Amino acid sequence: MSDLIEEIKKNLIAGRVDSEDEGFDEDMTGQPGVTELVKQALEEKIPASDILAQALTPGMEKVGRLFEDGEYLIPDMLASAECVAEATEIMEPHLAGVDIQSRGKFIVATVEGDLHDIGKNIVATILQGSGFEVQDIGTSVKASQIVQAVKESKPRFLGLSALLTSTMTHMGEVIDLLKNEGIRDQIIICIGGAPVSEEFAKKIGADIYGEDAFDAMNKLEKLA
Amino acid sequence: MQNRKPKNSPFRGLDIQRHSFLSDKDCRLIHEGSCQLLEEVGIGVTHAGAVKLFEKEGATKQNGRMFIPRKIVERSIQQTEKNIVLKALDSTNNLEIEGKNSRVHYGTGGQALYVLDYKDGAFEKKAAVTQDLIDIVRICENLENVDFITRPVEPNVQDEDMDLTKTRIFLENTSKHINLANLIQIEKLPEIISMVQNKELISFIACVLVSPLSMAESTTEKFIRFIQEDIPVAISSCPQAGTTAPLSEVGELMQVNAEVLSALTLANLVRPGAKILYRGIPITSNLHTNVSPRWCQPDSIRRIAIVSDMTHFYGIPCCGTAGVSDEKEPNPQAIAEKTLSWIFETASGAQFINSALGMLEQVLTVCPEQYIIDAMVIGRIKQLFLKSPDYNLRDIARTGVEEALSMFGVQMDSAMKEEVSSRINFIFSGQEEYSADHVQAQADLIKKAIISGKSSNVFLKTSRSGLRRGWLYSGKRFEGRLELEDLHLFKTEILDSYGN
Repeated sequence: MSDLIEEIKKNLIAGRVDSEDEGFDEDMTGQPGVTELVKQALEEKIPASDILAQALTPGMEKVGRLFEDGEYLIPDMLASAECVAEATEIMEPHLAGVDIQSRGKFIVATVEGDLHDIGKNIVATILQGSGFEVQDIGTSVKASQIVQAVKESKPRFLGLSALLTSTMTHMGEVIDLLKNEGIRDQIIICIGGAPVSEEFAKKIGADIYGEDAFDAMNKLEKLA
Repeated sequence: MQNRKPKNSPFRGLDIQRHSFLSDKDCRLIHEGSCQLLEEVGIGVTHAGAVKLFEKEGATKQNGRMFIPRKIVERSIQQTEKNIVLKALDSTNNLEIEGKNSRVHYGTGGQALYVLDYKDGAFEKKAAVTQDLIDIVRICENLENVDFITRPVEPNVQDEDMDLTKTRIFLENTSKHINLANLIQIEKLPEIISMVQNKELISFIACVLVSPLSMAESTTEKFIRFIQEDIPVAISSCPQAGTTAPLSEVGELMQVNAEVLSALTLANLVRPGAKILYRGIPITSNLHTNVSPRWCQPDSIRRIAIVSDMTHFYGIPCCGTAGVSDEKEPNPQAIAEKTLSWIFETASGAQFINSALGMLEQVLTVCPEQYIIDAMVIGRIKQLFLKSPDYNLRDIARTGVEEALSMFGVQMDSAMKEEVSSRINFIFSGQEEYSADHVQAQADLIKKAIISGKSSNVFLKTSRSGLRRGWLYSGKRFEGRLELEDLHLFKTEILDSYGN
């Protein structure tokens, strides 16, 4: 394995997207992070498939183990997942013909009237890092706009987020509208957010309730 | 009960010598940093009326963000009403809230979704309904240590009836100051004013701010209408360190201060001399598990308490926050963490402590028995503060938790005592330097997070070093079994006295 690939893996495990990231063991600000290193590797004609197989995949597996052991916490997992997402985007043009299986397209939105995006962003980043094709359509998105996005992009999964008790009811509106349009059964709907619950998910007819981002990821991965 | 009215005062409240966590120099640094944020990073504003008011006074808007000159902010701080009287149907329940004084009052809070019913020695969780609102208001009317009542749950009626229904329930069931918190439909405000007859009897809380540094359009409209009517409003900003604010205490305090000051400025543009209560709730996120808010852990208790240093620095009335347990049911852990938060928030001199009673599971659940537990413990805490005017805060905190648990049949062992000391030490220990360089570094981080468009990811990622330096408290739980039968009987007696 080249030193560069080893360096990409090391920085991925440290969750350093670029040179501005400090890392956490020691201040590594100024040293190249995953995005700079991946660009350098591609310039040096290292095949994108090697970067993927020898740096990104084993790096993320290591992060997963550290998280399970309690050594890594949520921000560490998120930082590494972001590294994978950014690296994959850079490598995309170089991966033509390489057999990479997406776990499926996932549209995510915070529902109308709700500007809170923490849960949505974490879910989007974590899923992107674990191989889902994520389309984040933003916060305070009207039910009609969400349904329009589903019609246009035809995702396998739809994630709806809400933090407020006053906005969670819009999740049910989205599902009702999908039913009216006759496309409800074509997608798997996952909901999450502080005020929602398993019981609420059942009540409005969602398929999955994600207690947190990792619970959502585990449940979605089983269906992917 | 003790200290219902301090000597020579017609008002409720507990007069104390306040404890400062920050120096005036620290507060000045935070103020400077907040002004810099408002001038250089700005606040997201979409409400057309607010935009017009800001721009008329020389603020500029670019890419959806309003850049507010320091002179407008500082003029607004000067203009804000410094002393507010919150009246009640029974005038002996009036509250005098003075920004420079430390007369502390306790009241309820929340917009909880669930209520715990106590049946056969166990708690059952159910969705809150109208009768719960009636019951809780009646219980709190009968608890001497409840000084004011904030709407704890909403009635389960149609949206168009919700605001008038809750106002009627308050008017029929309490003689204390009514804090309606929020209105579902702002168009109902004239009817509500007409219903209460005297608008000095009511106040509101406006969650205008969405962290980091944005104003919510619909709440901004409600906020402006309250201010136009000259009704006191608490400006609420509740970022979570590590997700919607920097994990750093300095960074989060500077951000929360900038957020509250932006709305306070708007209020004084609407009506110079606006009656504002400053409500900054800089809590932390649980970065160990699921990023849920930590309301009652030592890190959040400290951060909420130091907000009072800022409000006293400005001389603006403080709407404090305490007693919002992270536990799902009444238990020893809930009592211990609530007690520590009441003690430190009381010592901070926050004049109008909201959410102080009944609340569990962060802000999602309330429990009738918990209101009684909380009122009893607050009564005990008042006695501890009154016993020695030049109190030792560490001693009060240690004794307070021990006595609070003992009141409900839980005796502390040496491990529990050690845990209390550990929590107290954490609350006292400022882990960060209040320096110009640190303030600047945090301002730069907030700016970077906002420019990125994914601020929560930036705050999460940059929390890693702070996490490893121990900025989030991690300790042991308080276990045991509470004796609650008497409380349940007391609750039943109160409610039965109303004849249904």
